[in-house]
Amino acid sequence: MAVETTAPVDDRRWLLARLDGKYTPYLIIAPFFLVFGVFGLYPLLYTAWVSLHDWQLIDGDQGFVGLDNYAALVADANFWNALGNTLSLFVLSTVPQLPAALGLAAVLDRGLRGRMFWRAGVLLPNVISVAAVALVFAQLYGRDFGIVNYLLGLVGVDPVDWHTETWASHLAISSMVMWRWTGYNALIYLAAMQSVPKDMYEAAVIDGASKWRTFWAITVPGIRPTILFTVITSTIGGMQLFVEPQLFDPGGTATGTGGSDRQFQTLVMYLYEKGFRLFDAGYSATIAWVLFLVVLVIAGINFSVTRRIASKG
Amino acid sequence: MALDTAPPVVRPGRDLKHRKASAAGPLVYALLVVVLLASVFPLYFSFVVASKDNSVLGDAIPPLTPGGNLIENITRVFDTVDFSLAMMNSLIVAGTVAISNVLLGTLAGFAFARLRFRGRNSLFLIVIGTSMVPAQLGVVPLYLLMSDLDWYGTLQAVIVPALISAFSVFWMRQACEESVPYELIEAARVDGCSVSRTFWHVALPAVRPQAAVMGMFAFMTAWNDFFWPLIVLDPNDSPTVQVALSALASGYYTDYSLMLTGASLAVLPVVAIFILLSRQIVGGIMHGAVKG
Amino acid sequence: MSRTLVGRAAVAVVAALAVTGVAACGGGTSGVDGGKIKLSIGVFSDFGYDSLIKEYQAAHPDIEVEQRKVKMEQHHTQLATQLAGGRGAADIVAIEEGNVAQFRQSKDKFVNLADYGAKDLKSQWAAWKWNQGTADDGAFVLGLGTDMGSLALCYRRDLFEAAGLPVDREEVGKLWPTWQDYAATAQTFTDSTPNVKFVDTALNVYKAILDQTEEGYFAKDDSYIADKNTKVSDAFKLAAALGEKKQTGALAPFSQEWNVALKQASFATTTCPAWALALIKAGAGDEAAGKWDVAAAPGGGGNWGGSFLAVPKQGAHPKQSYELAKWLTAPEQQKRIFKETGNLPSEPAAYQDPEVTATVNEFFNKAPVGQIFGNSAESLQPTYRGTKDSKVTPVFSNALARVEQGKQSTSDAFTQALKEAQDVAK
Repeated sequence: MAVETTAPVDDRRWLLARLDGKYTPYLIIAPFFLVFGVFGLYPLLYTAWVSLHDWQLIDGDQGFVGLDNYAALVADANFWNALGNTLSLFVLSTVPQLPAALGLAAVLDRGLRGRMFWRAGVLLPNVISVAAVALVFAQLYGRDFGIVNYLLGLVGVDPVDWHTETWASHLAISSMVMWRWTGYNALIYLAAMQSVPKDMYEAAVIDGASKWRTFWAITVPGIRPTILFTVITSTIGGMQLFVEPQLFDPGGTATGTGGSDRQFQTLVMYLYEKGFRLFDAGYSATIAWVLFLVVLVIAGINFSVTRRIASKG
Repeated sequence: MALDTAPPVVRPGRDLKHRKASAAGPLVYALLVVVLLASVFPLYFSFVVASKDNSVLGDAIPPLTPGGNLIENITRVFDTVDFSLAMMNSLIVAGTVAISNVLLGTLAGFAFARLRFRGRNSLFLIVIGTSMVPAQLGVVPLYLLMSDLDWYGTLQAVIVPALISAFSVFWMRQACEESVPYELIEAARVDGCSVSRTFWHVALPAVRPQAAVMGMFAFMTAWNDFFWPLIVLDPNDSPTVQVALSALASGYYTDYSLMLTGASLAVLPVVAIFILLSRQIVGGIMHGAVKG
Repeated sequence: MSRTLVGRAAVAVVAALAVTGVAACGGGTSGVDGGKIKLSIGVFSDFGYDSLIKEYQAAHPDIEVEQRKVKMEQHHTQLATQLAGGRGAADIVAIEEGNVAQFRQSKDKFVNLADYGAKDLKSQWAAWKWNQGTADDGAFVLGLGTDMGSLALCYRRDLFEAAGLPVDREEVGKLWPTWQDYAATAQTFTDSTPNVKFVDTALNVYKAILDQTEEGYFAKDDSYIADKNTKVSDAFKLAAALGEKKQTGALAPFSQEWNVALKQASFATTTCPAWALALIKAGAGDEAAGKWDVAAAPGGGGNWGGSFLAVPKQGAHPKQSYELAKWLTAPEQQKRIFKETGNLPSEPAAYQDPEVTATVNEFFNKAPVGQIFGNSAESLQPTYRGTKDSKVTPVFSNALARVEQGKQSTSDAFTQALKEAQDVAK
């Protein structure tokens, strides 16, 4: 960084110039770390502390138990079930979603008439209140009177019990997630596509390259950092899935366990059940910490895999 | 001052952007219509139910045509909860969070992308790490913190934790990497700009489109947030829209038409903001000051 | 231009923070406001307090009362968080019967209403209701009873008629003096009209049977007895049999799907406590008026639901809160609430009152609900709810649901339930 300015005239300007160069970066990023320190790090460490105790939600600390909670977690079949569900839902909802968002962004990037209209429309699912989303999807996936089963019946398929079957529930929830977030990711890609230098497209047009080829050879590598970014954020969001499956659960937050067999209970749902319904805050904190570590690992894996894929061109 | 305002650079062939691909054919429009229908349907459904009454939800064939109860339901919404207060509060919260994220996020993003300082990489890794902390995890310690600060039921309890997020830093760092080339900074430095002037007059204008997108998303996320506000806000004193919607649904039996009327109303401000910011999002005139 | 944009943004942030600061000053749950004492009362769904509160404020000019209504599930979660954090709870909070045992464990966070003379009120309630709201053998009064569930059985007249069953509510009541008779009726019904389900869910049947036993999952000394208690296994087997034979709708009670099923008349009976009548009416819609009716439940009376008003210690005005709670739960007021919302009073003086017993419900074919539920209340045997009851119940509900959904056999489901309940109850 070229930090030298013209020779300072007096001491104060000299001091300001020194400060300007050396400490400004730290000053600039300080707000983030301040907010994070108080509202992010503190809860994180506090939760770690809680996970080492037998801690009841209302009654508080009942005694230090070391790693007992973690040991119990490893032996807990419900935990592994929730982990499996989370991974399955994550794959089902993210793997189709990002390419779809990419395609959608490509379509939206063209010379369209009423551009703003289409772009706003695509973002709507993310804007609608979750209460409305829950209701609509309950109507869609009802067992006896749902719209999807009605349509299936038209082509001669037996009604599916969307809430009961494991695979059906995962499909239904993934569709909810995809419906909600594809437009969001599409707009992110679209914004990134605006930064791809136009002269590269000019060159491609001159070379007579097809739209498809242009897309893969120029656009995708051009927005590679953004793609990586969305992979990470989608991974984090996917592993922390809570809202959509909770809305899908007829028992809701009061009695729901992700289905009678916990067939669609995610890790965060399990965390919530243990902490806010059964009041076992210590165990809940343990789940939270393990989840955090799992997310770290999976995000890391996804990042390196995607980086390799998106780097051609 | 050479870089007081970034000069409008008109490059030859720039207009090609609008003709980058041949004008979209009918197939494309067909696809878009399908996508739009799928996206809009729940909102339309909410509107239909809002304009009828609760009992239509039990019909074998779901209602698809609007009824005439909309005005009555809207009146009921405003009678049941202080909806205008809730909208006002949500606007304050979401607006503050959005602006703050844009400012602080761009500052931090600029620092990570274009300033060299010790510990830059490790600090950035920490930023990424923090984004992996699940929101629900922090609820109880956060609540205890709010109790100690005596912020229960206040808007700052909802605003302050969201003032800056890892997402924003991440995103704006990206934006600075892409849109603020080193040459631009060099030029600014040569002209004698301090770091802060470089930031305000060079970097920030250059990343305006991305900043607008990010502000939009921050606004939406804050607007839709219900988990934390439900815990820390008082539905009578200072609700946000999502809290008010929950109160609307809390009758003896859930009056969905009432709640969905509220939900339909709640969408309007966000759409308005989107339209307002849309010019920025499409790509401002200032964008692309130095290319090639 | 960009500078102006940024400048404007900065001004906006400052302005917003300033507004927030002003708005923040208005916070605070209870306090003294210009000489008036502000009390807040936290309820869920509809306790029927709207007009009562207005009256109380008129009679006590120095007191202002605000109601906070949220959904039931949120209400209890929030209460737990508020108690944990020591702040933010309303001055008076409603606690539902199913959650009382849990909050009783944290009684140190509540005011002992006996300190303000609550023990004098003891005779207002039936013994079982009073005891539910107390701890330490009656020495600690946690909450005053509001309404109660009482139990009856709602049925659909036209569906019964189509199946060749009697339609008059007296005769229907005679169909099922015991739950075995109920199951037999289910068989008769299904044999003649196999396309309609007899009951909405086996879960409600199971719950009703258990609620009629003196000791369910826990003995009165709070020891876990579910694995040895034949009442539990018998109840489970009976309800599960209904599920296995597909005589139930396998619905989650009071869910959206349940509402739709009501409207479409896809099931013929459901256990209905007094507070469920309004829910059934809302779900079935106006066109079902007169088609539903109320009969006595098998096995005599039972209780499902009902709440208590408690006073958290963090409130600033415990005495005034107690006075208000006392007034709201007095028999006179409970009578009025019944007239407005149909919530059944929990005090004999109220539910035996001729005005109450004479009440009929138009929607339910003019059924004399005051009488039916009053009788049920008289004959009910209260069941003991252990401290860990709310942890064990979902285990068995899930097991029963699995049988209903065809995922497991009755014996497998029950075995799994016992195992899981063992872990949770220790």
